[in-house]
Amino acid sequence: MTPDRLTEDELIAYFEDALPPADRARVAARLEHDPEAQAQLADWARQNADIRALYADQADTPVPDRLRAALHRAPPPRRFWPQQVAAMLAVLGVGLAGGWTTHAALQPPPEATRLAQAAISAHDTYVVEVVHPVEVASDQRDHMDTWMSNRMGTQMRPPDLAAAGFTLMGGRILPTAGDRPAGLYMYENADGQRITLYVSHQPSGNSAFQFAGDGTTQSLYWTDDGLGYALVGAMPRDRLKTVAKQAYDQLL
Amino acid sequence: MAVLDEIEQLIPDLRRYAYALMRDREAGDDLVQDCLERAVAKHGARRPDAPLRAWVFRILINRHRDLMRRAPRAGHLVPVDSLSVEPARPAAQDAHMALRETEAAIARLPEDQRRALLLVALEGATFEEAAAALEIPKGTLMSRLARARAALRTMTGRDGPKAPAPHRADHPRDLTQ
Repeated sequence: MTPDRLTEDELIAYFEDALPPADRARVAARLEHDPEAQAQLADWARQNADIRALYADQADTPVPDRLRAALHRAPPPRRFWPQQVAAMLAVLGVGLAGGWTTHAALQPPPEATRLAQAAISAHDTYVVEVVHPVEVASDQRDHMDTWMSNRMGTQMRPPDLAAAGFTLMGGRILPTAGDRPAGLYMYENADGQRITLYVSHQPSGNSAFQFAGDGTTQSLYWTDDGLGYALVGAMPRDRLKTVAKQAYDQLL
Repeated sequence: MAVLDEIEQLIPDLRRYAYALMRDREAGDDLVQDCLERAVAKHGARRPDAPLRAWVFRILINRHRDLMRRAPRAGHLVPVDSLSVEPARPAAQDAHMALRETEAAIARLPEDQRRALLLVALEGATFEEAAAALEIPKGTLMSRLARARAALRTMTGRDGPKAPAPHRADHPRDLTQ
């Protein structure tokens, strides 16, 4: 019989009632001889009480009509959100920063890296959009393909990523530091997770998959036959790679 | 439709959680509205055996993650000075101050810890539910909760044998010291 101190994991699991009955009884027995662990449990209980005291009444205020309506109306309400203004400014900022970099940097990043950076900026700007995540929605698919192909000056067809659980929301055209615009497609899965595929002209030749990222947002990019592609999402690289392979196979 | 009715039942819980995350009624409701619209659009694609509550919270959490990536720091830091307390005050006011301290401390937790802690402590989510909603393994959830609770304890000045306060509930310590 060793009077081991209870570990933090055991205590948390005990406190959150996540132990099987046998383990729970065992921890309870040891707890009797561990005043420090008892004090910790009491403190956690107090934290919970504080947290509930702070926010509990927030569930009692009347539910605004707009929330109930959101459940029973097909198209979301068109509202002009401050967020949209921020998004527009962000795009402008990206354009300016891109222009500045080309002029000022002694050693500009390789084309492909710039592609990944632009793709991540575009992703972070638009995945949070509530009202206008895309310019043309996927229900106008024919129009979107024609329009984006015309603007990009090349045949544009978004890949079908349904096998990875992602459905196309739509697309948009974005300004770039160069003279031709870029295209952005947005996809969403059943959990509301969004990924984007950024497409722009890349003069340099073909390349293998490469990764770039700024912490949680990861990008996997490649170039192929004059076009650069960057798939961007907040997910582990392996998963992103699986999705990218599907895209790649269809874009060949 | 039955699923939509079930989701409607969750609105008060979603609003409470969103309010605690955003610390703003309007911003919280915007987050809930976004979550609901997404849930309506997506519930056809949901696996029928997946628990509804964890699924809806997962959508809300995904939206919150996206939002925080865009505006990561706004309103995140609370000056320590604002947490200091005067020594002699009526008990009711002390209790109020202790709550404000806890509120400020929660606001300073890293986002992932805050989401996890509020999910179990405020929403009463089970381990299973919280791990599913946050899309993390249970072991990760456990250590995240432990870190959150330890940080909260430190920030509210309730940890530590260094300065044992005999009447901790009555005299929350000055965090500037």
